[in-house]
Amino acid sequence: MNDTVRTGLEMSEPLVHLHDVAVGYDQPLIEEVDVEIQAGDVIAVLGPSGIGKTTLLRTIAGLVKPLSGHVELGVAPRGGVGYIPQRLGLVSNLSVRSNVEMGVRVSLSKWYPPFLGVPKDHQGYAQQAMEDLGIAHLADHPVRILSGGQQRRVATAKTVAQRPKLVLADEFLGELDDDNVDVVMRTVRHAIESQNSAMVMVEHHEELATQVANRIWRIKDHRLVEELTR
Amino acid sequence: MNRRTVIVGLGLAALTVHLFFDLVGDWGRVSGGVSNLGVFVRESLWPPNWSVLKAQSYPVCEARFEFTCSVAWLGVIETLKIAFVATMLGFVVALPISVMAAGNLSPTYLAVPSRILLAGMRSLPSIIWAVLFVIIFSIGTLAGIFAMTFYTVGYLGKLQFESMEGVKNAPLESAKAMGMSRMETAWLVAIPESANQLLSHVLFMFEYNVRHGTVIGLVGAGGVGLYINTYLKLGQYDKVVALLIVVFLVVLVIDFISMALRSAVNEEGDVERPTWSSIFLPASISSVQHPTPMGATQGLPESE
Ligand SMILES: Nc1ncnc2c1ncn2[C@@H]1O[C@H](COP(=O)(O)OP(=O)(O)O)[C@@H](O)[C@H]1O
Ligand SMILES: [Mg+2]
Repeated sequence: MNDTVRTGLEMSEPLVHLHDVAVGYDQPLIEEVDVEIQAGDVIAVLGPSGIGKTTLLRTIAGLVKPLSGHVELGVAPRGGVGYIPQRLGLVSNLSVRSNVEMGVRVSLSKWYPPFLGVPKDHQGYAQQAMEDLGIAHLADHPVRILSGGQQRRVATAKTVAQRPKLVLADEFLGELDDDNVDVVMRTVRHAIESQNSAMVMVEHHEELATQVANRIWRIKDHRLVEELTR
Repeated sequence: MNRRTVIVGLGLAALTVHLFFDLVGDWGRVSGGVSNLGVFVRESLWPPNWSVLKAQSYPVCEARFEFTCSVAWLGVIETLKIAFVATMLGFVVALPISVMAAGNLSPTYLAVPSRILLAGMRSLPSIIWAVLFVIIFSIGTLAGIFAMTFYTVGYLGKLQFESMEGVKNAPLESAKAMGMSRMETAWLVAIPESANQLLSHVLFMFEYNVRHGTVIGLVGAGGVGLYINTYLKLGQYDKVVALLIVVFLVVLVIDFISMALRSAVNEEGDVERPTWSSIFLPASISSVQHPTPMGATQGLPESE
């Protein structure tokens, strides 16, 4: 079913393969999910609120166990997935730089001591990401004093600096004002293209989502339906 | 309030009154006791003997201020030193244990044994630990430090892991999805996110340990309690009273400083600035925000 949508694209090992997955907590929310995510995909997940979009994203991220079926991850468990939850998941008492450098950290050995700063030759990724998102001047401020829009850029910079193969973002664009959408989306797009990664974004703002995405998953009647773009 | 609540409330009240009279039984001894206490206070306790503030006759005082050679000063300073060292040692030991005990950071097979360990250290009151360590190390400050550290680990560890469990889910999930290790998640997410509370608990614990320093000193574990114990044995109750008043004042001052520090740390204003009533009433009565051992629930407001 998905193959028809991606005709013309070269098929390779998928980054993620969901095998007949039932998504949910106690009761299934979405059933018979059988999809692949390929490098280069920018997927918008659409559907009314409460239908299970966030739960689907958390299932792909490995935070929720599927009720049945299984999720096959073709990316590194450490550093391969970047997840931006709806509440951004920043550490509010740490500086912008420390937050962004967490993205860099997962490309180091897991035994690299967490109380040391990231090595000099890795700091550049964090610095570049902060500059790209226009928050370099805030680097030493604690995240908690930043505005909502600024915090969203920090979360983006953290994920850009991480250079993951798969970016998962929940209600990412909807909360941004127009200026921010442009900057953020341009940076993320660039990062994804240059890394040949993929992105799955949950969006309630359909118009925005369809502009940005090249695949659309619509959740309806407990099923995931792939729609043609444009 | 519904009927069931009223019935249960009345039942509990009746049970309490019944048990009270059941336990006390012999009221004749009470009336005698009250007049005995009157005599005791008049003849032995009052007025306090303030000689404890003067330099001891031996060893000869060479300090600039004579006061610093007094029993009160030496005892209180030693108690403060013991409390400080024990609080710091306890904090350092408790931190990794509390990370292992926090259900949102560690799997059950780590969390459960860690909690049992903390509960074990906490279940013996500090005075029992003190007796134990006095037996091991004999009378002195070393026993005091060990006793207080053990107790602090159990107590502080519990407060700490509860704070860590209160950390918001989103940063933890983001860390987990990224593949951050447990050590990274603890050090870079859980500890910074609960830092205000952790610091608050350490200050509270120091306060607590100063108060308990007096008690554990009674069994010979150093500090001002050791002097109190000596005077008790010698029957010099007026000196005991003087020392108790000194300890009370010191605890008030520390309470005040600690509260001011905590309200500075919690810049979001979740700890009220100290008021005079809060200083002269016990903290548990005057301040609802005080992190009590039973349940420390303060947190930063959601940062969105
Ligand atoms: N941790 C959880 N445990 C149980 N049920 C949950 C949990 N989180 C969300 N839900 C429920 O799952 C349903 C789908 O939630 P969610 O995936 O957040 O929807 P959406 O993102 O599409 O708005 C909701 O009814 C919600 O109440
Ligand atoms: Mg959602």
